[in-house]
Amino acid sequence: MTIPLADSPVGTLGQEVAAARADASPAWLAARRRIAWDAYEALPMPSSQRDEDWRRTDISALHPERFTPIDRVDAAVVDAMRVQRDAAAPTAAFVIDAPVAQPIEGADTLHAQGIIVTTLAEAATVHAELVQRAFSSVRADESKFVALWNALWRGGVFVYVPRGVEALVPVWIAHPAGGDGHAVFPSTVVVLDEGAALTVIDAYASASGPAALLSDAMVILSVGRDARLDYNTVQQWGEGVWHVGLQRTVLDANAKLRFMGVTLGARLQKVWWEVLLEGVGSEADILGICFGDGTQHFDHQSLQAHIGPETRSNLLLKVAVRDRARSVYGGMIDVAPTAVHADGYVANRNLLLSQGAKADSIPRLEIRANDVKCGHGATAGHVDADQRFYLMARGVPPEEASALIVRGFMDDVLDRIPHRGFAELAGTLLDAEIAGGSVTGVAAETS
Amino acid sequence: MSKAVLSISGLHASVEGKEILKGVDLQVAQGEIHALMGPNGSGKSTLAYTLMGHPKYMVTGGSVSFDGHDLLPLTADARARLGLFLCFQYPTAIPGVSTVNFLRAALRAQEKEMPAREFLNRLSTEMKELKIDESFRSRYINDGFSGGEKKRMEILQLAMLRPKLAILDETDSGLDVDALRTVADGVMRLCGPDMGVLVITHYPRILEHLHPDRVHVLHDGRVVTSGGADLARQIEREGYEPILGTAAAATA
Ligand SMILES: Nc1ncnc2c1ncn2[C@@H]1O[C@H](COP(=O)(O)OP(=O)(O)OP(=O)(O)O)[C@@H](O)[C@H]1O
Ligand SMILES: [Mg+2]
Repeated sequence: MTIPLADSPVGTLGQEVAAARADASPAWLAARRRIAWDAYEALPMPSSQRDEDWRRTDISALHPERFTPIDRVDAAVVDAMRVQRDAAAPTAAFVIDAPVAQPIEGADTLHAQGIIVTTLAEAATVHAELVQRAFSSVRADESKFVALWNALWRGGVFVYVPRGVEALVPVWIAHPAGGDGHAVFPSTVVVLDEGAALTVIDAYASASGPAALLSDAMVILSVGRDARLDYNTVQQWGEGVWHVGLQRTVLDANAKLRFMGVTLGARLQKVWWEVLLEGVGSEADILGICFGDGTQHFDHQSLQAHIGPETRSNLLLKVAVRDRARSVYGGMIDVAPTAVHADGYVANRNLLLSQGAKADSIPRLEIRANDVKCGHGATAGHVDADQRFYLMARGVPPEEASALIVRGFMDDVLDRIPHRGFAELAGTLLDAEIAGGSVTGVAAETS
Repeated sequence: MSKAVLSISGLHASVEGKEILKGVDLQVAQGEIHALMGPNGSGKSTLAYTLMGHPKYMVTGGSVSFDGHDLLPLTADARARLGLFLCFQYPTAIPGVSTVNFLRAALRAQEKEMPAREFLNRLSTEMKELKIDESFRSRYINDGFSGGEKKRMEILQLAMLRPKLAILDETDSGLDVDALRTVADGVMRLCGPDMGVLVITHYPRILEHLHPDRVHVLHDGRVVTSGGADLARQIEREGYEPILGTAAAATA
């Protein structure tokens, strides 16, 4: 199912582009886009000097206005991403997030089940009410980058699973980017109605290499009463990419989220993983792994917002950094007065593989309810000398011993992922990172 | 006595600047079983770690040859590949690394790799012999294992890797009577002309199973006396006092 989109106006990110986007949108969205653009222009760029949120992540070298919105699909990158889908989840539908709508592959089973898989642009017109419901959890002007996304996104992917339907195959969403000096606004919106179930793989990739790209991404997940969402995401941008993204999930009563984030690429990434546990008894298991080398900079911010009573959340992010790579992590468990008997845990474990690598970790609890169970933990350390010696005493050479330990450190997370194909893909990508110097991105022939 | 597989002479070693081994002399002939006893803190584990090449233990004098090679310049992995094996007194847990993957990596490193099916069959057989539950295959190595389970897992590795010489550092400690028999039977099954054993222990019970060719007593970083299996029984009856008394008198 594809619909033609208006031609992209050429030019750097600016008023003209924003106006053209608004003009090409249905009225409700056009209004939102205009508010967003005004907010974007009014808000200052986040600063590591002024903004506590950005204190450890410096983007003073990023100038969004120098980037041009991407207007084509990089076929080589898409092919490389499809190969990953073929290996990890051959039955999954394959949907490409592109400025020009692409054919959706392998979605017949899902369509036959009454599941909507389409571009977000089309859904904004045809299923406006569903998209508006999802959008209601994100204010158009809530931050500089959220405003920019709201003003300029196009294409995007939208999935809706109707009441009581359990999707028979996963949805694999590809957010490719190519060229140099381009901006992309990757968009994923997933809405699960009451009792529905779905597995999503959300992948970001560009060719490896120094090409400068800006990715301003949005993921909105809305999980209805008794519904179950298994969401897996992998970020494999090339070495020159700036990636800023908000991933926000809203859980209704007894809804369950299983979230897995794999962060490997980009020059700098700052993402927010936010889960709003609104419904009574809702649950979220949030896992993440991140491997960085060279001068990569990663910033993960997580929020486990317990709003409904009897809600449970658990987050574990494992990070390994090598060379002069740096990781910043901020995790917040916020328990509202209404969230009686909430149970939340947040942990961040960091493995430092070089003297020059660095990891900062600040988990926080804000508890405003009685009778809750909450905790946090953060650790950072080097490869354990005793573990290394134990492996070497069995004949394993030192470099391989270290690699096994790093892989083991991560496997502790990968072993908990329900989607085994995705876990294997993550493991393979990780092995390449551990073994292979500082190569990120997918191995795609740039066209 | 046939050719020595391990020959230690005048070995001095220190840890964190403190000298622990003060001139150890010890020879183990090809395929023999030797016991090393001695009071707590006498340096038995230090000797085991030093032989295996733990980077914390600094050799300050003496020499060690193993199967015709000078052992001391080699890193631990190279020593293992020559056929030296240490059953750790306190095996290290490595979360995330499954027993199967660990064994595969070790066999590959030692060029003893075998086809997957043969590997799994052999692993199965050895696990049955050692009464280790199948579920341990996919468990992370030593992670959350009980003391006895760890010891059995060490013997399983020994059985899979088939070294030329195995040093067992208090493998019998913390084992119940049945487990001790299982482990001792396991070791007996493996040792022979191709594999010798140096067993470090405080208890004669395991020696009743293993029938050592020689028993050595280490005290204050030196082998102070050696003898036959009787020596272990004497120590059990009378303690170290009489031996160390005479040894001390002999050195004086
Ligand atoms: N890493 C270390 N740092 C400081 N001292 C050490 C270290 N390792 C061993 N030692 C010291 O070396 C001496 C010998 O220790 P070792 O563990 O070799 O004794 P052992 O004979 O194996 O004793 P046990 O029978 O109790 O196992 C002890 O005094 C011990 O405290
Ligand atoms: Mg000891």
